[in-house]
Amino acid sequence: MLASSTLADVLFTLGLGLLLARWLGMYMSRLFQGRPTVVDPVFDPIDRAIYRILGVDPRRPMGWKEYAGCLVLTNALALVFVFLVLFYQGQLPLNFWHVPGMTWDLAFHTASAFTTNTDYQHYAPETQASLFSALLGLQTLMFLSAASGIAVLVAFIRGFVRKDGMVGNFWSDIVRTLTRLLVPLAAIGALVLLFAGVPETLAQSAHNALLGGGFQLIPTGPVASWDSIEMIGTNGGGYFAANAGHPLQNPTAFTNMIEIVMMMLLTFAPPFMFGRMVRRPNEAYPYLGAIIVLFVVALLLLFYFEASNPYVSGLNVSQSHGYLVGAESRFTISESVLFQGISVYGNVGATSMSLGSLTPGAQSVLLWGMFLQCAPGGEGTGFGMLLINALLAIFVGGLMVGRTPEYLGKKIGPDQIKWAIVTLLSHPLLILVPLAIAVAGGLEQVAAGPGSHAFTIALYEFTSESANNGSGMGPINDNTQYFNVAGGLVMLLGRYVPMVAMLAIGGALARQPAIPPSTGTLRTSSVTFTLFLVGFVVIVTGLLFFPVLAMGPWAQGVNWP
Amino acid sequence: MSGATVSRPHAIGATVSVRRESHTRIGLVLTRSIAKFDPRQQVRNPVIFIVYIFTMFTAAVALYPPIFPDIVRHGFHRAYYIDVTLILLATVWFANLAEAIAEAQAKAQADSLREVRSGLRARQILPDGKRRWVAATQLHRGDLVEVRAAETIPLDGDVAKGGALIDESMMTGESAAVVRESGGDRTSVLGGSKVLDGSLELRITAEPGTSFLDRMIQLVEATSRDKSPNEIALTLVLNALTLALLVVIVTLAYLLGYTGIGTLDLATLVAMLVCLVPTTIGGLLSAVGISGVTRVAKANVVCKSGKAIEAAGDLDVLILDKTGTITVGNRLAVQFVAAPGVDAETAQLTGLLASLFDETPEGRSIARLATLRGTRSPKLNVNECKILPFSTARRMSGLVLPDGTEMMKGSISAVSALAGGFPEELRKTADAASLKGMTPLALARQNQVMGLVILKDVVKPGIGQRLQELKTMGIRTIMCTGDNRLTALSIARESNVDEFVAEAKPETKLRLVAIEKSHGRLVAMTGDGTNDAPALARADVGFAMNSGTSAAKEAGNMVDLDSDPTKIIDVISIGKQLLITRGALTTFSITNDVAKYFAVIPAIFIGIPTLVFLNVLQLGNPQTAVLATLLFNALMIPMLIPLALVGASFRPMAAVDLLRRNLLLYGLGGLVSAFIGIKLLYILLVWLGLGSP
Repeated sequence: MLASSTLADVLFTLGLGLLLARWLGMYMSRLFQGRPTVVDPVFDPIDRAIYRILGVDPRRPMGWKEYAGCLVLTNALALVFVFLVLFYQGQLPLNFWHVPGMTWDLAFHTASAFTTNTDYQHYAPETQASLFSALLGLQTLMFLSAASGIAVLVAFIRGFVRKDGMVGNFWSDIVRTLTRLLVPLAAIGALVLLFAGVPETLAQSAHNALLGGGFQLIPTGPVASWDSIEMIGTNGGGYFAANAGHPLQNPTAFTNMIEIVMMMLLTFAPPFMFGRMVRRPNEAYPYLGAIIVLFVVALLLLFYFEASNPYVSGLNVSQSHGYLVGAESRFTISESVLFQGISVYGNVGATSMSLGSLTPGAQSVLLWGMFLQCAPGGEGTGFGMLLINALLAIFVGGLMVGRTPEYLGKKIGPDQIKWAIVTLLSHPLLILVPLAIAVAGGLEQVAAGPGSHAFTIALYEFTSESANNGSGMGPINDNTQYFNVAGGLVMLLGRYVPMVAMLAIGGALARQPAIPPSTGTLRTSSVTFTLFLVGFVVIVTGLLFFPVLAMGPWAQGVNWP
Repeated sequence: MSGATVSRPHAIGATVSVRRESHTRIGLVLTRSIAKFDPRQQVRNPVIFIVYIFTMFTAAVALYPPIFPDIVRHGFHRAYYIDVTLILLATVWFANLAEAIAEAQAKAQADSLREVRSGLRARQILPDGKRRWVAATQLHRGDLVEVRAAETIPLDGDVAKGGALIDESMMTGESAAVVRESGGDRTSVLGGSKVLDGSLELRITAEPGTSFLDRMIQLVEATSRDKSPNEIALTLVLNALTLALLVVIVTLAYLLGYTGIGTLDLATLVAMLVCLVPTTIGGLLSAVGISGVTRVAKANVVCKSGKAIEAAGDLDVLILDKTGTITVGNRLAVQFVAAPGVDAETAQLTGLLASLFDETPEGRSIARLATLRGTRSPKLNVNECKILPFSTARRMSGLVLPDGTEMMKGSISAVSALAGGFPEELRKTADAASLKGMTPLALARQNQVMGLVILKDVVKPGIGQRLQELKTMGIRTIMCTGDNRLTALSIARESNVDEFVAEAKPETKLRLVAIEKSHGRLVAMTGDGTNDAPALARADVGFAMNSGTSAAKEAGNMVDLDSDPTKIIDVISIGKQLLITRGALTTFSITNDVAKYFAVIPAIFIGIPTLVFLNVLQLGNPQTAVLATLLFNALMIPMLIPLALVGASFRPMAAVDLLRRNLLLYGLGGLVSAFIGIKLLYILLVWLGLGSP
């Protein structure tokens, strides 16, 4: 299935990503525990200036409600601002292509998409967004949304450590994430991409003479800097409609690998950060183990399903390089699949292939990743989801060892469980209800193709939005008022319901004293627990989404291994 | 139906036709299980209520198809709807049955307690000293009553005057009679016990309806139990899972209807919903809770709230008295050592005579040891001797023989003062014994040191193993004793206790409880004295002894009627079993669902060739497949009633091992058994002609 050179390529890329993520996780734990780092002399004055401008006290700890309030308020303000920018972009500067303002529903959908780190694009960036919108509107949100996700996770994790009911200071967390993590990382990433051949210019078009006379104008712009935060911040919205399949955004196999590593940074760093923050570094491994089991199985299935298509096998077409329909011919199939796997499972949502052209088996694997949302899931929130799943698993498992379930010395009771189940409930609700409404008018109105293929496309749309993933499967007629408004709401609820739940659980945990562990306490750093967690997540997720997987991709026909 | 034959070993009149009672109890259980179809009762259990609602829906379709024209149009099989309705009805009934059986067990336990007390009358002492007969139910706290031989104690109380031999067997099952008398720590008597000899004046300490008996009756009979945080959280999880699956199935109905992918049959979807929602644990949850209280009551422990039982399962620290709990309670003589120049026989005789009329257990054990070593005492008339009892001032005790010779035993320092010196060699031996935790007593005749007798605290047989079990469960044990450090250390080593506090004062226990609680640990302690009351009240689980004072019993939240402090280990096990049973049934319910999906989903997509691979069980007839799955789901409830009532087995082991064991048993077991069970039921249904293969 995999040539040895390909295997080495894959292992090298994943290994490099994990190594850097581990280092980053350790750095982040220092960052959020307020411990000194080498970059302090540079950033302390900058941070102080920002706090002064905002007029906030970064040292005052907040309860979870105040923290959530600040989060929702800043995000809401940003949402409104970007909505206005997109709506009025026709009258705003830096608009070389004379792009008109977006309709109100498209502007709402787009602003929601970028605020929620989803970056689902119901528009073609080249022709429907001005440079002003891209830089000042959307790219700003790409930083803010990534920082918000990380801040929420940090506050959640503090609940396991603190005993005073406080989860930290929102302003301090968000500013430190921006200045000391995202901006430097994005800058380094942009430089690497720039040297690897990705353009970075404020010119909005490249003038290109054609051999046959005349010329063509190729849309371009500050692609490298956009690309960098798109991948590192797990945003996934492309500078071009073709996203990472576009030769200016992802020109070579080298940039492809760099972008894969960038996507792994903040998605794989949280377990390491968690272990350090709760002062039990080994606590990272049960989670990392669970993520790797879930992710590697998915990756192997993806490789298998994209290696050949049985429906093509009889057609006298060579598939020796894999099933290449919809894949970029500049890359090998394994490079494309690895990119797509980490992009969807890490809830980045960047695409380097045409997802609608994948085999149904591969499509179901991608959908599964977004149903899980936690293998490893998006920046911060993905690991938060895994922790919530773990709390539920520890609750059931803890009962089975005959003690009131507890984790890291904190009892898991009704206060935590009620928020955990809100999260558990919201995902199927946000996917299935709008989907049922969408197909009520007839599937053929929504997407082209035979019934179950069209169904898969529609299912993918809402799944991607609820999971804040942002990748899309075409062709779908989704720039309609229903899809824009419903999609916008699904993204907002799919983002802030779990976020508020994470903060609430953190707050409830932080109010408790810590109980010292004993031999009667369920030890989580064990293979048994990791397998239990994987089994729990798979079964519960399966229970909720098994029927739609059957109706969609599986009904199209899957060549199971 | 094992629950209907409840053993009632401790009740009076237990011999009256158990057969007749168990017969009426089956009738009662059946009636109760039918009565529970009342929607006001059903609504309290959302998981089963969902089944209840959908049963009404399928029943309506089955009974009057014409009012559902949409359903009738799509290849409607009335018989199928009838079958589904019947199995749904059975599902609800099985859940009712589980609860009714648990309640019947509890009621039987309560009845046997109540029987003891019914119709009791008491001889009340009025303020003017007159006596009058009143019903026990008319007595109030503080009233004085007189109880004479062969009468029954009307209510819990303290002996105010007199003393008597009391038979508590109907309360405790302990056949040996006990002495209760005024003053000291043995004053409290339980309502329902019988005076064998002597007479008492009793001050009532309980209002009618609030005695321990009443409290236990109320607790085991309570229809609305106060739920522990664990149970609340689990209920939340189950309800959320049910709601999520409801969303899945309702949207699935729309998706199937709009897209035309797969077959839309409402009975099948209802069946699928009922199979998937956690009916097994949902139906058994309340039975599990009720049975926990019943089991504690059967262990002869009165417990004032159900929550305390679960708290017992969670304990981190257990504070135990040394005396009576870890050791048999008395120091016993194990060795005589003669002073230099004194022969062994003389030393032993001194010990024997000094203890001859000493009725303390220590004294008796010295006399016994001397006799065992062959020393015989001369014939003495007790009236001619003078007994010198132990006093704190003298720190010695002994006997003055008719000829005036003083035979004394006592602490080394006291005897040394008496004799004006102490042989160095003997002092070394004494010190060595002290170092080993034993108690050396010096023996003296007149002013001459004759030797030593060495006493030892004897650890109860088997206590070491029980404390080791606690250690395996992760519970730290702390022994509290007034002994010196060395004695305490020696006992601690011998008994496997984790920590000890020596030279403890009465307030030490309270301080210990407070310290452990301040670290966030859950603390239990056992106690019986009035001194223990504040600590018993402060502890999360205060385990008081029935033989103790009323104050101690009032302060604790559990009272052991058998006065066996080690029984707290049984209560801890019951508490843990409660949680394990809930967790196990939940896991079983969830893993069952995997197999159920693979049975029902193929039935929905029967016409789609690409989805044939889902039919791993090879169930050819979709409707029979659905009925088999639904039947399996329903049958799981009665099959697991015994587990719910008896509790999942619990052996002390490390948490991770316990998790692995229970995951294999209930997780993997649930997965595999459902696949096999559904297939077998399918074959059975086909064989019965309920569907083509």
